[in-house]
Amino acid sequence: MAISDQAPRIEERAHVSVMSRIILSQYSILGLTVVYFVVCWLFFPRILSIRNIDNIFSNVWPLLAVAIGQMFVLIVAGIDLSQTSIMALTSVIGSLLITNKLDPNLFAKSPFWGWLISASGGPLAHQPGAVLIAVLVMLIVGTIVGILNGVSVALFRMPPFMVTLVSMILFSALAIFLPKSQNIMNLPQSFNDLGEGRLWIIPIPLIIGILLIGLVYIILQRTLVGRWLYGIGHNPKAARISGVPVRSVIVFAYAMSGFCAAIAAIMYSGQLEMGRPTLGATLLLDIVGANIIGGVSLFGGRGRVGWAFIGVFFFIILANTLNFMNLSVYLIDVIKGAIILGATFLDVARRRLAAHQMA
Amino acid sequence: MGCDRFEGIGGLRKMKRIMSVMLAVFIILPVAAFAAGQKEHQITIAFLYQDLETQFWVAGHQAIVDTLKKDGVNVIEKNAHDSADTQLQQAKDVITQGVDGIIIIPQDGESAVTIGKVANAANIPFAVFNRPPSNHDAKAIVAVADNRTIARGIVEYMAEQAKKLGHKVNPLIMVGNLGDPNAVERKQGFYDVIDKYPELFNKPVEVPTQWNANVALQNLQSAMQAHPNIDFLFTSSDFMWPQIKQVLDPLGKWKKIGDPNHVITGGLDGDVGACQLIKDGYIDGTGVQDVYAEAKMIMDAMLASIKAGDKTPDKWMLDPGFDLTHDNYAQRSNDMWGCILLAAKGN
Repeated sequence: MAISDQAPRIEERAHVSVMSRIILSQYSILGLTVVYFVVCWLFFPRILSIRNIDNIFSNVWPLLAVAIGQMFVLIVAGIDLSQTSIMALTSVIGSLLITNKLDPNLFAKSPFWGWLISASGGPLAHQPGAVLIAVLVMLIVGTIVGILNGVSVALFRMPPFMVTLVSMILFSALAIFLPKSQNIMNLPQSFNDLGEGRLWIIPIPLIIGILLIGLVYIILQRTLVGRWLYGIGHNPKAARISGVPVRSVIVFAYAMSGFCAAIAAIMYSGQLEMGRPTLGATLLLDIVGANIIGGVSLFGGRGRVGWAFIGVFFFIILANTLNFMNLSVYLIDVIKGAIILGATFLDVARRRLAAHQMA
Repeated sequence: MGCDRFEGIGGLRKMKRIMSVMLAVFIILPVAAFAAGQKEHQITIAFLYQDLETQFWVAGHQAIVDTLKKDGVNVIEKNAHDSADTQLQQAKDVITQGVDGIIIIPQDGESAVTIGKVANAANIPFAVFNRPPSNHDAKAIVAVADNRTIARGIVEYMAEQAKKLGHKVNPLIMVGNLGDPNAVERKQGFYDVIDKYPELFNKPVEVPTQWNANVALQNLQSAMQAHPNIDFLFTSSDFMWPQIKQVLDPLGKWKKIGDPNHVITGGLDGDVGACQLIKDGYIDGTGVQDVYAEAKMIMDAMLASIKAGDKTPDKWMLDPGFDLTHDNYAQRSNDMWGCILLAAKGN
């Protein structure tokens, strides 16, 4: 073969290599988000206003919390459809504990009425430390539901899709049954601050978000459990043979999913200033979609908290800017769906390119 | 080896082309959308609503949007798909866009309060159509039907029909979502009449519906199995008449007025279906919310506040409504929005 014949091939390979790097890069979405935001700003300068930036981030932190939980499950090649019902259930339980007043006309038929709740509110109404206890209870309940999911998947080998679908139905119904489908208002301001308050000038959801990111980063990147999670996602059989406690790690992944869903419930309930039995009911597409867009693989073995952040950030920017464009709501849903489909295609493309490069 | 690489590279080239097209579309599409979305500045009102599941909401939406546009107002519409947190987000976004006012159909009374507080804090006039806030913590223009009075009126008419039977009747009420103050008031209006005539009514059966047609159907079927002697039925909303017919018809109880098996029936809202059923003689009447009057109340008050510079108007306006019955159909049907729509369809 002549040397002149090799030159175009080298150039092709260089082109492909650059393109591969872009496609394989997890930060291409971040770059696209920035470019997209800048283009939008040229037409809608208000999106760079302090109020809008505040709005964007007030939506980022709760969605990020629940998306991080989903990420754990995606890393082990699972899925958790019950996160939205965990959010609803924990929102209801937490707010029933600390509400300062309840209308007997609305709540008298609740199974808790008379012995746990009354017209004066919940058992912790006006008590010191009420909010802290309620938050702990919410986190524990969320984690327990996650553990139940994990045990069903790991020990009984039931398909994650079915287990978490059944969970979603069951716990959604429970969330509606307990308060008899009523919203629970009259929550202490200190609880509402967890969703919308500030510590000096720093939004409290930002503090919660940063702490969660830090915790998850340490787990995934600095501990053996993190390596086990990725190992199971790549190849569960090989992981088992290597001595990884696969079942325990899968249970841990689902427990984290429930734990993070409860954190999201705290923030959303605080923002809305109420416990809602239907909290988060429409968020599942956003949760999974944000992960996929960020680069977390549906096939398992890939995912970082930074990627989840990028995906959530992009999703919120997209929703925010599409609202500014005043497009029809149906067109907004079409655009969101198309982007998630594109991100899924990108996920597949990445796997092919990565496999090709390794070959 | 050379052939394999060429094949592999060819496949990657295709992928590269597809990705390039996708990336270009991804940037160009929103830019094109920007151009379509831009409008000159004028009074801009955001209208935030939930899914328009019933004719009442469709009629209300149409009344508000059409009239605002006719007045030269720029209307930004947002559908929250039955999600309170989405509607809160949308409210914050339109405030950032610098709208002059916000009109909402909230998911429930509680979320109306939360969103109202956000609007108040931003000094944007805030109005709630038909589904009132659960308390007065947020300042708002509210136009709402006097549901309790309207429900009481139609159930009173139904009671008059029951008296003619000469025996006690077995009543049933289809209850709406009690998180919606409208549902609470309609239930109260029903019981106002039940309690007024203890000699006329046995203990009522309550059928929860959560404002959901499927739930209404299932629960009504169960209720009729458990209480087959029901002969007096009030529905908190006219949108459930198809489900009621679906249950009563196989039981031989979906009969016209005058038939011995006719169940005394009444509803509330005043939609197209109810109008047709009253006209045909299957139901005794319905309480009518004057959707056009309520829409006009909201818009007039909102535009007046904007023009006067009142950033946190606080005004509750009641629509007294009226009853359309089998007896007054000829005189009052032209006043009912459902009958107006029915006539427009050529019926």
